[in-house]
Amino acid sequence: MVASAGPRPGWSRRAQYGLFFGFVATVAAIVVGLFMLILSLAAPSTFSAVRGIALDAMAPAAGALNEVSTTATGLVSGAGNYWDAARQNAELKRQRSAMLRRMVEAKAISLENTELKRALALRERDRSTVATGRVVGSSFSSPRRFAILSVGTRDGVTVGMPVRAADGLIGRVIEAGRFASRVLLVSDRANIVPARLVRGGVPVIATGRGDGTVDVRPLEVGRNPFRRGDIIVTSGTGGLYPPLWPIARIVRLDDDGAIALPLADPGQISFALVEPPFEPEAIAEAARSEEPR
Amino acid sequence: MVRSALASRGTGLTRGPHRASLSIPAITVLLGSLTAVLPIVSLHGWWPDAGLLMLLAWRLLRADAWAAWLAAPLGLMHDLLTGSPVGLSMALWPMFMLALDVADRRTMWRDYWIEWLLAALFLSLAEIAQWQVAMWDGAAVPFATIAPAILIAIFCFPLAALLVARIDHWRLGR
Repeated sequence: MVASAGPRPGWSRRAQYGLFFGFVATVAAIVVGLFMLILSLAAPSTFSAVRGIALDAMAPAAGALNEVSTTATGLVSGAGNYWDAARQNAELKRQRSAMLRRMVEAKAISLENTELKRALALRERDRSTVATGRVVGSSFSSPRRFAILSVGTRDGVTVGMPVRAADGLIGRVIEAGRFASRVLLVSDRANIVPARLVRGGVPVIATGRGDGTVDVRPLEVGRNPFRRGDIIVTSGTGGLYPPLWPIARIVRLDDDGAIALPLADPGQISFALVEPPFEPEAIAEAARSEEPR
Repeated sequence: MVRSALASRGTGLTRGPHRASLSIPAITVLLGSLTAVLPIVSLHGWWPDAGLLMLLAWRLLRADAWAAWLAAPLGLMHDLLTGSPVGLSMALWPMFMLALDVADRRTMWRDYWIEWLLAALFLSLAEIAQWQVAMWDGAAVPFATIAPAILIAIFCFPLAALLVARIDHWRLGR
């Protein structure tokens, strides 16, 4: 096939001008686009209003489609539960009794903890969940790791709030529309979480790797403190994430750190809880320094 | 005979182009960008940009699918829907249109392999631009993270080209 040589205007003056002005318009559009790109990199909040509107426009469709897919997968896995039910039942009963024993221990420890804190006169703010939403989408075609949450400013969500699931930390809100918000996941490269090891309490830093895993490094250089299977939790440093939220489990060691898998998989969790920041001043700080997204 | 000629949209030989035939290409690109609302929660960002695949497939099939500047508003919509930095696709997509105009003038012969090669080139450029912008934005992931995304996009192009050829066939009523 011979290549189409693009639009050939021929002798028509009108067609020639049309082509020329089309070219000028394209170049102008490129310049405007580059300018907007620089603006959105240098001052990320410039387009927050219009991006919020786009989020809101997407949220209902994403939510409805999410319902459909949840129902479909639920039918399949629900049917699977009936298979081998007797053995599963016995297994669950055994687990339940083990859990009950652990729970009694945990309750006793918790009681002791409150008493000790009272003795120390340590004051903590009452923390209550701001909103509960579903993860209805993600940035599946970009090197950044975002998720879309089905709650927005209408439910009290504001930019900078930490988000968690029952299993552990998910990330923090970086854009809030009226009905939906965008969450920067723990596995995004730009998300740096101050954390510590549950075993020993060594302070570490967790940074996303952009592929669903987290890179963990100790704050103090020296011996590698990690072991496979270690759990890391938030330390509360920095004031954004409340302390003792589980983050990830170490799956592989490397020379001066480790690679961990987040405990809360945004694709599996049913509900995400948006919580107020640990120290509200952190939000003001983040707004002032215009955090890079 | 007369009745079938007077009918607005006949069948077979008398069937004309679809009423919205001029806007269908742009609409399908927008639909491609709208795949961002699908409830896919992926750990990796390896899914292809359906909007960009449709745009390239249309432009490689037809030089006159739209005026080149139309790629800018389409890119802006893509940015807003997918949550990438505003202006990235808006600047990139019209650049691709101009580059393809040049490619149209330079290539003497056009066959399927050359189209795939051109598409592969522009898809990789788009992914690399996304990666570079993420780096400026404070998310410097290693290049190996996006290599699978580039490969997947390149191997998805034939599907997009097939889809676009079918839609073109339907839109022109042939």
